[in-house]
Amino acid sequence: MSSNQPPPSGPLPPSTPPSLPPPPSRGRIAERLLPGGTEPDPRFTLANERTFLAWIRTALALLAGGIALEAFTSDLFLEPVRKSLAVLLLLLGMLLSAGAAGRWLRVERSMRNKTPLPLPLIVPLLAGAGALAAAVVLVFILWR
Amino acid sequence: MARTRVPDPAPHGDPGLQPERTTLAWGRTMLALVTVSAIFLRWLPHHGWPILLLFAVSAAAAAAIYFTQRRRYGASARGITRESIDADTSAVLWTAFAGVVLGALGIGVVLAA
Repeated sequence: MSSNQPPPSGPLPPSTPPSLPPPPSRGRIAERLLPGGTEPDPRFTLANERTFLAWIRTALALLAGGIALEAFTSDLFLEPVRKSLAVLLLLLGMLLSAGAAGRWLRVERSMRNKTPLPLPLIVPLLAGAGALAAAVVLVFILWR
Repeated sequence: MARTRVPDPAPHGDPGLQPERTTLAWGRTMLALVTVSAIFLRWLPHHGWPILLLFAVSAAAAAAIYFTQRRRYGASARGITRESIDADTSAVLWTAFAGVVLGALGIGVVLAA
């Protein structure tokens, strides 16, 4: 705490040196999947990517849970209950992975075209399947 | 005597540190993939060799993220600087594809057991 130099304060000046080369042309996949519109604020593009990654991590947790559930509850659940729960978790992980990419694309498109962001379909999917999995376990526990 | 040093400003000048946060989000995803691949390997005795396919896919995806982190940070820092970023469509697509493949393989493994 003995610094005489104050930390740099305030926002840094916007830096767009004219010497920077023009942005390279977009890739072929991007041209095909994200046609038209104008380039959105790069911060929004990065935020969209981080949201996608959060969904992917949720999906990965469900996938690992599905495999582990099948294996380590073999003497706890009856086989049909165990298998259907495991398949439910794995299916949900799969759908969320695909749905996360779909949502990323739709959000990116609506940002390019300056239209309102679409509602996330994967939110009710995750909530519904989570509730279904809980109901399966509840019924099993009450009946056992 | 504590040495104090004013850190270099970020190369992109973004006070919100968007490139850092995005690169860290990819890093977290890579760690999740490593964890998941270890969990798959843990259940190798129960599920048998097909689980090695799941291990291979998740480990390969983690490696792919690891080896593209530096390029990713550079691209997003440059994109912030010039106020225009190329959406990383291919990375999003292959990551989601890896999740779908893992789910399909996992369902196959569970139903075959």
